[in-house]
Amino acid sequence: MTKDNATATAVNATEAQVAEVQTQVAAATAQATPASDTQAYDGPMVSIQHLEKSFGSTKVLRDVNIDVHKGEVVVVLGPSGSGKSTMLRCINLLEKPTSGHIYIEGKEITDAKTNVNELREHVGMVFQQFNLFRHLTAKKNVMLAQMKVLKRSAEEAEKIAMQQLKAVGMEERADFYPSQLSGGQQQRVAIARALAMDPHVMLFDEATSALDPELVRDVLDVMRNLAKAGMTMVVVTHEMGFARDVADRVIFMADGVVEEEGTPEEVFDHPKSDRTKDFLGHIK
Amino acid sequence: MHLRTLSQLGAKVALVAAAFFVAFAVAFAALPQSAQALETAKCTARPNADTGSDVLGGTQTRITWEGQAGDNEQVKNITLTLPEGTKFGLDNTKLTVLTGPDLMTRENPEVEISADGQNLMVNLAEPAVKGAYFRVEIYDVYFPAEGGSYTLTGTYTNAKDETLAIDTIPAITTVGINAAEQLSNWLGEQGWVQAWNDVKFLHLFLDPTLLVTSFPVVLQGFFMALAIIVCAFPLAIPFGLILAFMRLSESRILRALANLYVNIIRGTPLFLQIYIAFFGLPLAGINIPNFPLGVAVLVMNSAAYQCEIFRSGIQAIPPGQSEAARSLGMTKLQTTFSVIIPQMIRIVIPTMTNEFILLYKDTSMLAAVGVMEIVMYAKSIVASTGSITPYIVAAIFYLIITIPMANLVGVMERKLDMDKKNVETTKKSDGFFSKKAKEACND
Repeated sequence: MTKDNATATAVNATEAQVAEVQTQVAAATAQATPASDTQAYDGPMVSIQHLEKSFGSTKVLRDVNIDVHKGEVVVVLGPSGSGKSTMLRCINLLEKPTSGHIYIEGKEITDAKTNVNELREHVGMVFQQFNLFRHLTAKKNVMLAQMKVLKRSAEEAEKIAMQQLKAVGMEERADFYPSQLSGGQQQRVAIARALAMDPHVMLFDEATSALDPELVRDVLDVMRNLAKAGMTMVVVTHEMGFARDVADRVIFMADGVVEEEGTPEEVFDHPKSDRTKDFLGHIK
Repeated sequence: MHLRTLSQLGAKVALVAAAFFVAFAVAFAALPQSAQALETAKCTARPNADTGSDVLGGTQTRITWEGQAGDNEQVKNITLTLPEGTKFGLDNTKLTVLTGPDLMTRENPEVEISADGQNLMVNLAEPAVKGAYFRVEIYDVYFPAEGGSYTLTGTYTNAKDETLAIDTIPAITTVGINAAEQLSNWLGEQGWVQAWNDVKFLHLFLDPTLLVTSFPVVLQGFFMALAIIVCAFPLAIPFGLILAFMRLSESRILRALANLYVNIIRGTPLFLQIYIAFFGLPLAGINIPNFPLGVAVLVMNSAAYQCEIFRSGIQAIPPGQSEAARSLGMTKLQTTFSVIIPQMIRIVIPTMTNEFILLYKDTSMLAAVGVMEIVMYAKSIVASTGSITPYIVAAIFYLIITIPMANLVGVMERKLDMDKKNVETTKKSDGFFSKKAKEACND
């Protein structure tokens, strides 16, 4: 009962702040993509070419090719085991590709000489299981990597942390530990943590799949605002409504290959592939 | 002028006469004393209990004084003055008189014995015969606890009612005892303690007097055990951590080395490791004092167990934690120190406290090679008294560390649980008592 009330309050708070949140996220994103970077590089933010990945003898990805352009929101759909999460994890090298090439802002990350840590600074990731640092408060979660990786001072990191927490409607819970927060609240803190690093691309790995249905909306609102603010996003999800509303492009993956690709209207309303039709039929 | 000379001469003559008179007086005074005296033959003390030949302070002791009266002396009173600080009672105090040729006639004449301050007076109903030999035995004497050299003084009264000094009495040397021994002595005289010790089992395992005397002795061993554990446990932590990271390393060689070490140490008894170190090293010409060597063996042993604690602690952290840190651009080292180790500490503290308890108990094994710790001291008293009580005292010295530590584990398990839902309610049930016990108190 109390939990429901708390959630309701949180939802109301989020709605009341929508306008404010939008400007906050916009500001954060503007900060995230400095003008100099955009001028220096014009090509796709993320370019995946002939990506293959096997776990032992099991081929999870076979010849995946995807380009994601700046400011684009790409939603990846597909049945479980289709390799969409593995593809996403390959983008920041949490999984090592078996073969193929991945370029981020023109730099090849699959090259052994690439500094992986530097690359990851610009690629924010949000996990299905949130993965907040359990020993730190929400605020400290957002501050840690800022201080360790970007070498920001504690004051600056805290200021940015509070801005980001406010942007996701979590500033009142800044001093709570992850175990004291609901799943939806944890996920919003996780998004704030990723955004505080000024990422150029955000990867969402089934960010709402582990949430109770009533908590999904808060997180989707945050993601929607982020998309509106112009963030480049690759979103793996099962939320069809979200995909239809927010996606610039929808990719349907099955059995480790890109089965179909197009605008939401093309994929949802006029699917060409039988697999896609089958999958969407099941979902509806 | 002439007159003056005369008077000077007169004064000189008077002086010489006075000198002669004094000399005679002294000579006369001294002369009858050979016939009119009470000479001390001996004055000794012995503890009443069968505790060896030392005269102990603060312990029930008997004093025996013996003296020979002069040929013409008829003694009717003997007064002995005991040294300041010495306590005595009159129970069993007795006078024996030896008379006749070769002093072969022994009698215990009718006497009245009384005390006044430090004076003990023996009044004979009838003056003893001339030249009698007297023995006074005082059975209930306590010399001062601190020990030292004590001398009795005395006077006697003869038939002519002359009170004269008893000539020089030899000093008695006593050995001091400490507060615990005094308490033990006092306990030994209490009726309930005597009743307690009449039960054979209680006497053997829990003799109150021995409990009290063992305590300060075994305490020295307790300090030694504390010193060992306080050095060994923290020193084992870095070794354990290094071993744990070796076991989790990607390098096959590091993994194999750490595995080998951990398996050998955990697969053999600590007792054997102690023997190898303490007997093997000196044979190899390496002489390390007991304390550092004992600490080193415990460090090497505990490091292997701590390695396993740390390893399982690290493996209990969901892989998502380091994935999240790495996805934020943190290096492996940053992830290890900012995310993995802080979380590992929270996970391992209860198990580490258990390891501390185990290691503390394991210090007892060093007794086997002569390190003067708790068991070693207890063993030495057991050997000299034949009672098991000192081992019970040793047990107490282990328990006063292990029981609070075990309680602490429970408290910490509640406090450090990162997955707890509500910090506020957990904080309320702090302390060594369970929530239930507290509720019971409130009722």
